[in-house]
Amino acid sequence: MNPEFIKTICPYCGTGCGLIVKVENGRIVGTYPDREHPVSRGTLCIKGWFAHEFVHHPDRLKTPLVRIGNRFEAISWDEAIPLAAEKLKATAETYGGDAVGGLCSAKCTNEENYLFQKLIRMAFKTNNVDHCARLCHAPTAAGMAQTTGSGAMTNSISDLAGADCILIIGSNAAESHPIIMGEIYKAVDKGATVIVVDPRKTAVAQNAAMHLSINPGTDIPLLAGMMRHILDAGLHDAAFIRERMEGFEELKNFLQAWTVERAAGECGIGGDTIRNVAEVYAKAKEAAIVYCMGITQHACGTANVHAVCDLAMLCGKIGRDFSGVYPLRGQNNVQGSCDMGGLPNVYPGYQGVSDPAAQEKFQQAWERDLSDKPGLTLTEMIGGAGKEIRALYIMAENPALSDPDVNHVLESLAKLDFLIVQDIFLTETAKFAHLVLPAACFAEKTGTYTNTERRFQLLRQAIEPPGEAKGDFEILCLLANGLGIDFPYIHPREVMEEIASLVPAYGGVRFDRLERAGLQWPCPDTYHSGTRFLHEHKFTRGKGLFVTPQYTPPFEKPDEAYPYYLNTGRMFAHYHTGTMTRRSPFLNRELEEPYAEIHPEDAQRAGIREGDRIRITSRRGSIVTAARISERVAKGSIFAPFHFTEARANILTNPVLDPISKIPEFKVCAVKVEKEPYENQGR
Amino acid sequence: MLQKVKDITRSILAEKQADGVLGLIRGQWNIIQPHVFDNLRQVDNLVLEPKWLLAKMAMTVLRSSPEGYRLAVIARGCDERALTELVKRNQMEKDRLLTIGIACSKEQAEICLCQRPYPEKLDAGEPVAGVDPFADETTRDLLVGDSRARMEKWARLLKRCIKCYGCRNSCPICVCIPCKLEDEVWVETGVIPAEMISYHLIRAFHLSDTCVACGACQEACPVHIPLVALQRSMREALRQVYGYEAGLDTEMRSPILYDLFKKPAAGQILPDWINSLENDNES
Repeated sequence: MNPEFIKTICPYCGTGCGLIVKVENGRIVGTYPDREHPVSRGTLCIKGWFAHEFVHHPDRLKTPLVRIGNRFEAISWDEAIPLAAEKLKATAETYGGDAVGGLCSAKCTNEENYLFQKLIRMAFKTNNVDHCARLCHAPTAAGMAQTTGSGAMTNSISDLAGADCILIIGSNAAESHPIIMGEIYKAVDKGATVIVVDPRKTAVAQNAAMHLSINPGTDIPLLAGMMRHILDAGLHDAAFIRERMEGFEELKNFLQAWTVERAAGECGIGGDTIRNVAEVYAKAKEAAIVYCMGITQHACGTANVHAVCDLAMLCGKIGRDFSGVYPLRGQNNVQGSCDMGGLPNVYPGYQGVSDPAAQEKFQQAWERDLSDKPGLTLTEMIGGAGKEIRALYIMAENPALSDPDVNHVLESLAKLDFLIVQDIFLTETAKFAHLVLPAACFAEKTGTYTNTERRFQLLRQAIEPPGEAKGDFEILCLLANGLGIDFPYIHPREVMEEIASLVPAYGGVRFDRLERAGLQWPCPDTYHSGTRFLHEHKFTRGKGLFVTPQYTPPFEKPDEAYPYYLNTGRMFAHYHTGTMTRRSPFLNRELEEPYAEIHPEDAQRAGIREGDRIRITSRRGSIVTAARISERVAKGSIFAPFHFTEARANILTNPVLDPISKIPEFKVCAVKVEKEPYENQGR
Repeated sequence: MLQKVKDITRSILAEKQADGVLGLIRGQWNIIQPHVFDNLRQVDNLVLEPKWLLAKMAMTVLRSSPEGYRLAVIARGCDERALTELVKRNQMEKDRLLTIGIACSKEQAEICLCQRPYPEKLDAGEPVAGVDPFADETTRDLLVGDSRARMEKWARLLKRCIKCYGCRNSCPICVCIPCKLEDEVWVETGVIPAEMISYHLIRAFHLSDTCVACGACQEACPVHIPLVALQRSMREALRQVYGYEAGLDTEMRSPILYDLFKKPAAGQILPDWINSLENDNES
């Protein structure tokens, strides 16, 4: 009769805040912040406060669905699992295992992601497994692995409160990672200087001491200009470079070409601004660099990450408390899904599939022959759908909204012989599926998430899944058994023990050790209390490496036909493809309809007034949305959030890829804007 | 103090004075969280720290409970005052609510700048003296002195607002349905920061005669806006001018509702530090 309060972890962003859900008669009726949580300490953002609202939404999937012609029909699990297994097996037999691909999920637990990649790798002897990290921090994983040896945030979130200077590049943390922004304000209250680099005057920029509105995609010139000035002024940390770094000569040679004035010209800001910012950063006792999608979602995303790391290492501001490099991960478990080997080139713990020793280790552990050939990335799998990829298994991902050039994505999905989508709602992607499997949401299962500061945290089941929906853990075990693979697990805890036995850095992680405050990896053994910051005495790769960041300007620049830059991003009340937030009444009331921001002068010239319906067109397609006239965007730029299915900003975006990490250039493309004719204004 | 609270809790449950007791439990692995105690065995794991405001939870528990259900709440001074205020405003039935009053420590009182770190109905613990919030430098900085400089300070702080609604959600007294902060006439949707006047001042004034200065709003604020300070002037003005303080008993009526046009009880002169409008007019 009495309600129960159950501690768990927020399902939205990578901050990983603590929630307490209130359960009455098997239903979640409220959310409270967890005062004792090491990260959020009794606070939540709007999404967290209303995280319970989508859980009991009537749209939740409750039975497996099979496509019959143009409609879906409910079937039982006893039919669904054999059907899935048979179709996947048939595809592999006809076209080879490499014709099967799988997208695991940054929304699912570590255990589920581990099982997912294990299933794909074992059953089909392919490494075609990837997920949406490809679309957010793949450049971080690749770039920071090269420079430091570890593609993860170097420090802890709470360290930000102790920094004297915080350089925020391409992150609107106030809307996307609000609780982390709170730590930054703690530093501000103690006197820290916050410098924001963003083409847009975001909420973060409005609250900063300095805002550098650089031209889109000119992060490398800015960082190179700063480094050049730091070198010229002798503000670099020579001892740190001598003892702990390699590649300094190459960096110096590279910087020869980047005078501050040249950088300033590229960025569209003054040279003195660059000098000033460089000095504030270099002279601060403890300086942190926070970055996010503004750095990574470019065709030179990996090089951008190199440049960020180079700056931190040049000034020796890494490998200790407070200073460091802070990539803010987007999804609740995107750190974990990468850690668990949900990537086409690595096994769990970033052990390379082409490394014979790693291959041998996993072959022995899993008792199967494994492929040593790196698999296809998400963008390649979608692009190759119907060609080299014949069957795709998607767990809780929504590429029909999240991938660039989605018109092309939809065409590709339609070409697949067999598409399985496992999700909690019938997403835009699931509508293309041949088989839909109903899954459990965060409140209905047990497992672990790893947040952006590498903290394994325990997700506790509060209620049962609706109807016949099952946890992804259970579905994966059933499907594995259907494919003739023995997944004998009864509880996710056993999977974590297996992971710990295979990945040295997670060797000490056990469910019971996570109960109170979680554990930050590396945590090599069960006596180890976790690691607050990385690279203390030596970098994970030994010496730190300066990698010269090769500058590639954005592939599309405004021209006569498409005179505006388009920048895509997020707003505070919605989350990614809106599957959950748009079904949450309180969040949806905050913003029910899509919009695009346009500068007042541009709007005036085009005869556009607030709220007008406008058509935005790129070389790939067009969307119709409402105009929001705002000085937050620079002149000549448009901003559109990508949460909305009725105006998918990703119809417009450019699918050109970063050569190393294969991330698409979401942040920059060229568009034109027209006011819709009167009859379409809907007034 | 803890033992005494446990004893009282046990006797309340044993004598069926209440169907549940809302307090904090220390679970396995040292996890502390709110809990509705309904059996004697669980009471062994009852704890009193940290300060974790329970009045809002108590209200939601009572609201969704069946008729005749009675709840006891382990209440600090501020929790008790919030509950009293809710009863006074007909948000809770008095007969369905019991409190087990506990006193706060001196340290806690200093953290909260609490003027009354103990409940009126004290069951356990030794009460300590209240703290004068206006002696605190940070508070004075925000409330006393040049009004323009203060305005700039507040504007800078309030501009941080990420519109999480945490101040409203956590406030034990914020119970209106519908809420003015959800009215698009007043608060623009879809943008941050929330506007200073229409969001923060509506909220603050709406609570002017009900705020018990429990600090729940401030503790829930991710961007560290000193929200309690925003209420202190009004609370102090009501105290000085009308001798009124929210949440002390269920009989004392708010002067804003009843006595505003009557002669104030304690003279007519406003303290000079809240008299900022006049300063503006002079300058």
